[in-house]
Amino acid sequence: MFELKQVSRVFGRKTAVDSVSFAIPAGQMVGVIGRSGAGKSTLMRMLNRLTDPTSGSIVFDGLEVSALKGSALRSWHRDCAMIFQQFNLVPRLDVLTNVMLGRLNHRSSMMSVLGLFSREERIMAIAALERLGIEQTALQPAGTLSGGQQQRVAIARALMQQPKVLLADEPIASLDPMNAKIVMDALRDINEREGITVITNLHTLDTARAYCQRIIGMAGGRVVFDGTPAELTTEAVNRIYGADGAIDETMTSTAINLVPSPKPVAAGVLVSAVH
Amino acid sequence: MSVAQTEPVLKETTREIVTAWERTTSSRRLYTVIGIILIAIGFVGSVQYADEANAGHFFERLPHLFDFLQWLIPNDWNDVWRALFDRASPLDNGSEAYDFAAGRVYVWGDFYIPEYFELMITTLNIAILSTIVGFLFAVPLAFMSARNITPSPAIRFGARRICEFLRAFPELVFAGLFAAILSAGPVPAIFAIILHTIGALGKLFYEIIENIDMKPDEGVRSVGGTRLERIRFAALPQVLPNLISYGLLRLEINVRASTIIGAVGGGGIGEELRLAISRGFGAKTLALLLLLFLTIIAVDQLSAWMRKKLVGEHQFLLAH
Ligand SMILES: Nc1ncnc2c1ncn2[C@@H]1O[C@H](COP(=O)(O)OP(=O)(O)O)[C@@H](O)[C@H]1O
Ligand SMILES: [Mg+2]
Repeated sequence: MFELKQVSRVFGRKTAVDSVSFAIPAGQMVGVIGRSGAGKSTLMRMLNRLTDPTSGSIVFDGLEVSALKGSALRSWHRDCAMIFQQFNLVPRLDVLTNVMLGRLNHRSSMMSVLGLFSREERIMAIAALERLGIEQTALQPAGTLSGGQQQRVAIARALMQQPKVLLADEPIASLDPMNAKIVMDALRDINEREGITVITNLHTLDTARAYCQRIIGMAGGRVVFDGTPAELTTEAVNRIYGADGAIDETMTSTAINLVPSPKPVAAGVLVSAVH
Repeated sequence: MSVAQTEPVLKETTREIVTAWERTTSSRRLYTVIGIILIAIGFVGSVQYADEANAGHFFERLPHLFDFLQWLIPNDWNDVWRALFDRASPLDNGSEAYDFAAGRVYVWGDFYIPEYFELMITTLNIAILSTIVGFLFAVPLAFMSARNITPSPAIRFGARRICEFLRAFPELVFAGLFAAILSAGPVPAIFAIILHTIGALGKLFYEIIENIDMKPDEGVRSVGGTRLERIRFAALPQVLPNLISYGLLRLEINVRASTIIGAVGGGGIGEELRLAISRGFGAKTLALLLLLFLTIIAVDQLSAWMRKKLVGEHQFLLAH
């Protein structure tokens, strides 16, 4: 259970996130939508504490996230995994090492600096890659993979963290529709199978409607909509994206539903390897 | 029609930009002129100063340069090879000028390393050892100096000043200092080159580190990595090929530095070269110069080749 009370973040004179309050029960899949600059990324980064809130409180299962420091903060980073639009992998390191980096906070710092990952961790990492269907890339430098593959490596790394929450900041914004579907299916699978809370920023309405149980709409740093996809009416969409009423949902669509699914990633192939 | 009329009416903002541009251009021109004058004064001044420091003999002695070259010409050109490989010379009259065979360093049975090769190895060894040690100290100092890695301004300030201090003194100054403490020989030379190398590489390295892509670092941070782990997994893989490449470049410089320090008492080939020149041993001097020349070319070529390999690979890995 995530609880935000009056959370704000100010950059200079600009208020990026303005007194945001909401609660997210465990196991929900939530989409955050809004125009570019609405404060979605800043909100995500505050949940994970890559960015510190200027004021307000963030509580997770009784833990005051907004007050964490030092090793407690690093443990929170571990429990609250994050994937990024630009993947943020280490391009020079091979895929397997990138995935094993997800274990950093589970082990002694000295061991990992020397590059000593255990055999179990290697097996775990390969299992996570298999689950995402990219085990054949394990020994390639991560920088040589396609965008869709890199994002799946990032998800595998997040799985290795054995997180309680998975945050995703525009995970499909730099992917083609087919890869976008693979990634979104993987996120949904993690949410359904492991019961991990998934919170994701999305820039396409139809994706948010198709995958999320709940949608939070932001505009100018504030939450202007919070409800189910069914409650997201044209009127609500205009509130989120601007009152000009000219938003055509198909315009923001990546049309992922029109692409015939190549192989049902969310079913069959996926083995719950990590837990 | 007057000129004023043909001038288009400028908007207020446009006019501001134009004036600002003109102002900066004219001041830039002024600085250029001042700069050229200063350089000219400095150049003339330093030539005169150098001449005076030579007790005014520089221009006077210039025509005698050819005299200097005259003694270099050996009586027998084959003596150059003999000197290089420690073969006995037919001209050997017991004097030091022709005692080529005396310097042999026997390794095993009749097998020997010629004296000059051994001295060259000593000099190379000083350069390699001090480059490696200097490199190893420069890397942590550079990470401590880099703004994107070290948030504490105090640590950054300290690390940067240390590098600046070490860089400020040429190897020779340190060498003189250490020679006074540790007595002459290769050890003060090694210490001197190490210190200067730390300063020079530390500065280069921190600039490389400050230019890295921080997205991988954020990725490692987001899984809960410590600062050391972030350096090890996000920063180091990005910068290592560049650091090694600059380290190799430094090795080239250090081979020269170690030769020069040798000449002022640091041992190795530099010392032998100074002795041969000061006593006017033509064949020996030529042999030493030849060996030095070939070695420096070899080191340069080898390091250029390795750097190309490193940077080439780097480019391949960055391609998506
Ligand atoms: N590090 C930063 N420094 C200054 N301003 C920032 C920073 N990060 C975000 N902002 C500002 O905060 C606002 C919200 O940004 P962001 O959270 O990235 O929006 P979104 O992800 O919804 O596009 C923007 O106006 C942006 O310019
Ligand atoms: Mg954003």
